[in-house]
Amino acid sequence: MNRALSIATVNATRLARDRVGLFFLFVLPIVLILLLGVSFGGGFEPTLGVVSTGSGPLASELVDALAYEDVIEIDRLDGAKQLIDAVERGGVDAGIVVPAGYDRQLRSGERTEIEFIEPAGTTTAAIRTTVEAIVVDQAARVRAARFASERGAGDFGEAIQTAGLVQDQSPGIEVVVMEEGESTFEGLGQFDLGAASQLVLFMFVNSLAATVALIQTRRLGVSRRMLSTPTSARTIVAGEALGRFVVAMGQGVFIIFAASLLFGVDWGDPLAASALVMAFALVSTGAAMFFGAVLSNEQQAGALTPLSLGLAALGGCMVPLEVFSPTMQTIAHITPHAWAVEGFTEIIRTNAGLAEIALQLVVLLGFAVILLAIASGRLRKSITS
Amino acid sequence: MTAIAQTESGVPSSTDARPILDCRGLEKSYGDRRAVAGVGFEIAAGETYGLLGPNGAGKTTTISMVCGLLSRDAGEVVVNGKPLTPSSTDAKTAIGYVPQDLAIYPDLTAKENLTFFGRLYGMARVDIRQRSKEILEITGLADRADERTDEFSGGMKRRLNIGIALLHRPSLLVLDEPTVGVDPQSRNAILGNVEALSGAGMAVLYTTHYMEEAERLCDRVGIIDEGEIKAEGTRRELVAILGEHDHVSLDATGDLTGAARALASLETIAEATHRESGIDLILANASRHLPQILETVAQADAEVTSVNVVEPDLEAVFLKLTGKALRD
Ligand SMILES: Nc1ncnc2c1ncn2[C@@H]1O[C@H](COP(=O)(O)OP(=O)(O)O)[C@@H](O)[C@H]1O
Ligand SMILES: [Mg+2]
Repeated sequence: MNRALSIATVNATRLARDRVGLFFLFVLPIVLILLLGVSFGGGFEPTLGVVSTGSGPLASELVDALAYEDVIEIDRLDGAKQLIDAVERGGVDAGIVVPAGYDRQLRSGERTEIEFIEPAGTTTAAIRTTVEAIVVDQAARVRAARFASERGAGDFGEAIQTAGLVQDQSPGIEVVVMEEGESTFEGLGQFDLGAASQLVLFMFVNSLAATVALIQTRRLGVSRRMLSTPTSARTIVAGEALGRFVVAMGQGVFIIFAASLLFGVDWGDPLAASALVMAFALVSTGAAMFFGAVLSNEQQAGALTPLSLGLAALGGCMVPLEVFSPTMQTIAHITPHAWAVEGFTEIIRTNAGLAEIALQLVVLLGFAVILLAIASGRLRKSITS
Repeated sequence: MTAIAQTESGVPSSTDARPILDCRGLEKSYGDRRAVAGVGFEIAAGETYGLLGPNGAGKTTTISMVCGLLSRDAGEVVVNGKPLTPSSTDAKTAIGYVPQDLAIYPDLTAKENLTFFGRLYGMARVDIRQRSKEILEITGLADRADERTDEFSGGMKRRLNIGIALLHRPSLLVLDEPTVGVDPQSRNAILGNVEALSGAGMAVLYTTHYMEEAERLCDRVGIIDEGEIKAEGTRRELVAILGEHDHVSLDATGDLTGAARALASLETIAEATHRESGIDLILANASRHLPQILETVAQADAEVTSVNVVEPDLEAVFLKLTGKALRD
């Protein structure tokens, strides 16, 4: 075991020598998490298309309230036709139409309707909850104000202001509304999912990039020389795998801590997150060992970076899996990436624990076991014959 | 670099009657290609044994089995009285293996390379530190100890390659063509090293396809071709195989293949083979047959530019035994 440790240590030492490697290992992932968080972080907030043809203060107030909401973004559109179009094309996730007579109808105590448009077959419960909360909130004040003005407590305009003040002083109602709105997206910070997919992407990319060192070790005859010492082929293979695993783990743990310290990423249940990182580090190690054993020169290893980026894209590390068509989602699951990303998404979004991501863990460990078994066999063969 | 002799301490005394290396019946096939077909020899302490043979003769395959790098189809290897198996720590620890390739990490320093292999040999840290220092002195790399080896010259890498094999004080040093692609100066230094180590009592197994190296270094030589040892002995014993035969080396131009074939068919000529710029012949009473030789060559559309009757050497022995030149 001492010998395996020595081999693992040499691996890590060699990697630490490689400035470019270190940059890819530790700096680039963090930079990308930052960039993605800043540019697309908002992209995870659903967009609500808003058509408001009414020009009164109540209609504007409603739209302003929606715009003020953190958990959705609004996109103002000109008419109902454009809105339906946008919903159908996916330009917005859902939409509302505030009728032209909104203010008039409310003031006169008529019943008014806000049309909520959602794409067929999709649940937009999160958006609807938010919209409903705001509408209910306004309706409560309207009712209070009408009640007051009918009882001769001034005109409607004054009354509704008073109603707003009263409501502000009894925050109980508002808090309930807000909590409901937030709970749907609990823990989903701007950087969270970006960080998870970058973690998966980079652990794999860097593991495969480090195969060059293994190919070189073999090609130079260093592995065979190890065999001339009292070190068995099994130990050599174990040492090479251990070195790679430790580096992949180191990178994973680093990204987790850096992202949480720098960007406040909440990785959910620590146990589940650790298990996922470990499982994916094993997968990456297995893949690296496999290519390190079967490729015969360092030039061939050049193809591994495009390959690992391709797998990452297919596995949902670049665009969220939800955006994929159902067929593509199925295909995506031939990559270990998809399972890892899915696992992280679960624990980050819904605070899932070990039990909820058991399937993902089992599949990842399956990948790891198969890859490591094939790789060990091939590597042993390549150094002993 | 001759200081190696004084610092070698772990070498058993040469009065020990048991050979350091005893291998016999070694066989290895790759698919249906027989790379080694029944090779065996013994090496005593202080003795240098050479495996002399052309490329593809089976030298590396033999050495790989001796060092436990390669499983053998048949045969036995005993080092210091201990049988060598893939898991045998004792036998492997007694061997210092110098691969033909530069098997060192390019992105580690000389010292780090030494330390790494010291660990694999199970040496204690203090011992590794002490011994690395000695090796770096001996190989003349002391002032470059902390430089990455990819900044070394070819000769320096070679020296480190050998130094690593000496770190753990082996009693058998195995070198696989250590001078291939080496400049004459480094080559001389390497040969000097081996002589010094042998002088200090180390058993040495040395493979080469250079006759001069085998003649200079080796107490005994095994002539190997097509996976078999064709003859074995001291230089004197091997040359005696030639008997009354002379080695005639012709420099010639023209159709050398045809000329060599024509010469080989002559009754008086034992062996004839062509090189790039000439023809080598083994025959008895060379001076008497010279006119006939020249005439045969001329008839075969070739022209002799000079004739040398060479001192009997291992190259001639190889030619006599195999009908082939050692080098092509
Ligand atoms: N790994 C291998 N696979 C198949 N054939 C091999 C392998 N290694 C060596 N050989 C063949 O075995 C024979 C002996 O090779 P080798 O021992 O390397 O010769 P030498 O070291 O004397 O040049 C050669 O014909 C070579 O082509
Ligand atoms: Mg060889």
